[in-house]
Amino acid sequence: MTDKSLCDEIYFNEFYTSHIQSASNFAYYKSGDKSTSLDLAQEAFIKIWENCAKIDFSKAKSYLFTVVNNLFLNIVKHEKVVFDYAKSSPYLDVDNQSPDYLLEEEEFKVKLKNAIADLTEGEREVFLMNRIDGKKYREIAELLEISQKAVEKRMSSALKKLRTKIDGI
Amino acid sequence: MEDQKNILKWLNRETSDEELARLQEAKDFKTLEKIAHYASQIETPKVDVETALADLKSRTKNTAKKGKVIPFNFKQVYKYAAAIVVLLTTSYFLFFNNEASFKTEFAQTKTFNLPDNSEVILNSNSAITFDKKEWESDRNLTLNGEAFFKVQKGKKFTVNTEIGEVTVLGTQFNVKERANYFEVKTYEGLVSVAYKDTLVKLPKGTIFKVVNGKIDTVNTFDINENSWLQKESNFKSTALRFVLKEIENQFGYTIETKEVDLDILYSGGFTHADVNIALQSVTIPLQLSYKIEGKKIIIFKYDK
Repeated sequence: MTDKSLCDEIYFNEFYTSHIQSASNFAYYKSGDKSTSLDLAQEAFIKIWENCAKIDFSKAKSYLFTVVNNLFLNIVKHEKVVFDYAKSSPYLDVDNQSPDYLLEEEEFKVKLKNAIADLTEGEREVFLMNRIDGKKYREIAELLEISQKAVEKRMSSALKKLRTKIDGI
Repeated sequence: MEDQKNILKWLNRETSDEELARLQEAKDFKTLEKIAHYASQIETPKVDVETALADLKSRTKNTAKKGKVIPFNFKQVYKYAAAIVVLLTTSYFLFFNNEASFKTEFAQTKTFNLPDNSEVILNSNSAITFDKKEWESDRNLTLNGEAFFKVQKGKKFTVNTEIGEVTVLGTQFNVKERANYFEVKTYEGLVSVAYKDTLVKLPKGTIFKVVNGKIDTVNTFDINENSWLQKESNFKSTALRFVLKEIENQFGYTIETKEVDLDILYSGGFTHADVNIALQSVTIPLQLSYKIEGKKIIIFKYDK
C-alpha cells in the first residue's frame, strides 16, 4: 500500500511527467490526429487532478488511459487516421545505400503506414504501444485493463493484416 | 502456429538467440522485420513536458481546489426565497396594508359607511379606495366612477378623482367621474371643488360639470331629484354620448350607434329597473330606435 496521494502536487507532477508522453501517444494512436492528441491527454490529467481524492495512486495509470479513451470516444469524430515517419530514421539495412534499395524501402514504408491506418483501433493501439513506446504486452494489458491474452490476440491479428496488406499488393 | 507464438515473443523482446535464429530462417521473416522496424519509426507528437505541465497548472488554477467543492444549490435557495416572499407578502397584507377598497360591477350599487360614519353610496361600475389608518387624521379617498356622499361633520373630507378634487367639511353631495365627464352636485352644505387651477364653491342645489375638459355653465339642479339613488339616472342638457355611457354602466351592455349624432343634448332620465324602458325613455324623445342583440345594444335613426 502506498499512501501517495495525487492531490499532493509533488506526486501529481511526478505522475504527470512520467506519463504525459505515453498518454498523448495513446491518444494519437487512436485518433491519428496530431493536433488533438495532447489536448486529450491534458484533459485526462485535469480529470485526474479534479478527482485526485477518489483515485488510488496504484490505479492511476490505467485510469489515465481509460479517461483518454473515453474522451476520444466522446470528442473525436472517426476520421481517416494519418501517420508519418520521423524525418531522420535509419533504414533497416544501414549499409545498403543503393538507389534501388532506398526506393524499395520508401515504397514499403508508404504501404506500411497505410496498412496501419486501416487497422482497427484496438489492434492499432496495442501494436503501436508495443512498437513505438516499447511497452511489453503485460504492461499494455494493465493500462487498457484487458487480459494479456487479449493483447496478444490483437497483436497477432494486427500482424496478420499488415502482412497480407503489404505482401498482397 | 509455433511461428506465430515466437513472433509475438520476439516483438515482446523475449526470444532467446536460438529461437531468433529459427525465426530468421522463415521465408517471410524479412517483411516482418521491416514491419517491426519501420512501424517503430512512426513519429508521435513530442510533448514538451515542462510547458504542458505549466499549461495544465494554469488551467486548473481557476478551479483551485482545497477540499471538496460543493456546488451552490440554487434550486434550494430559490425554494426558501420563494417561501420567504410568500410569508412577507401575506403578512404585509394581513398586518400592514390599511388600504380599504370598495368596488361595484355593472348594474350594482353598494352602500357603506366610512370609519367616521360618513355614508357612501357607490353607483355601478365604480370604485373607492382609502387608507383606514390615516382616515382619522386625513379624510381622504380616491373615487373612480360615481358616488353619493353624506359626510359627517368634522375635519376636511377630500374626494380625489382623476379629473378634479372635491373637499368639504360636512354635507351631502354627489361626485361623478366618467371618461371625459366630471360632475359634482351639492345636496346640503357647501362643497369646494378644485378643478385644474379653478376652485369653485358649490352651495346647496348647485352643480359643477366638466365635459371634455370644458366647464359647463349650467349650475342648478333639483335637489329632490337625487336620481340614481332612487334607481334612475337624470340628465339636464347632457350630450347623448354620456347618457349612453351611463346606460352601459347601469346595465352592463355595450352600445353601438349608427349614424347618430352623439352630441345632441338630452334632458330627462331613465330607470335602472328595466333596460327596455330605459332605452325607450332615451331614444323616443330623440327620434331614435334601438335593437338588443345579446349583450349589445344597437341604436340607429328612426325610419319613418
